[in-house]
Amino acid sequence: MSDLALPAWQASLVAIGAVPGAWLRLRVVNHLEPMVPRKHWGTFAVNMVAAFALGLVLALQAKCAPESGASPLILLIGVGFFGSLSTFSTFAVEVLNTLREHRWSEALVLAVGSILGGLLAVAAGVGLANG
Amino acid sequence: MANPTQPLPNQWNEMWLVAFGAVPGALVRWQVQNDLLVNVIGAAILGLVVGLPFRPSRQLLLGVGFCGSLTTFSSWMVECSTLISQGAWLSALGLIGLTMGLGLGVAALGFLIGWQFRPSGLGR
Repeated sequence: MSDLALPAWQASLVAIGAVPGAWLRLRVVNHLEPMVPRKHWGTFAVNMVAAFALGLVLALQAKCAPESGASPLILLIGVGFFGSLSTFSTFAVEVLNTLREHRWSEALVLAVGSILGGLLAVAAGVGLANG
Repeated sequence: MANPTQPLPNQWNEMWLVAFGAVPGALVRWQVQNDLLVNVIGAAILGLVVGLPFRPSRQLLLGVGFCGSLTTFSSWMVECSTLISQGAWLSALGLIGLTMGLGLGVAALGFLIGWQFRPSGLGR
């Protein structure tokens, strides 16, 4: 962080990216809900997509313009859109709900699957950018 | 499909509520620049919001909008993946364990606190 002051144009980029990210998350989760056995697979899906895309975008930035720090595009797409599309809080509460319902193996699959899947998704995004 | 007695389709209200929560959530996350901190705080707030007897509109504003946008899964995964690519396996495992452990713990705590405010609380 170079400066604690909130630069208005950078903040606007983050905000403009965040709104469609949150909308898409809501739409995907609601859209998938009747099709998947449990609601948390919708959250899983947006988290995987966002992890892949963030890995891709950050690797492209590092490859094409390594000098520029937080570029406007990263603020808009990386911090705003994909940061807002993916969510940890819903994931944590969904793991917790699964545990509360004593669905132990499903909670384990959801937690471990999300983390391993997320790491693989980032690796795939980075690989695509550098490949 | 549209109901003429309703001035706005329900979907519009949903989108406004989510947007009004998502903007401050993303701005706080961007300024804090610490994924572990925002994720743990967001999980605690969401646990509380889910536990409290809130209307669906509040859940959309605070839960889906604010907490959903404040916390991030993708940046956390990128951080872990960067640590792994640097060979810092132990740090990556630590970050995963710490985020999951603290996140689940505070979400449960928030939920239990929120549940106490329900008319028929836990175990009552």
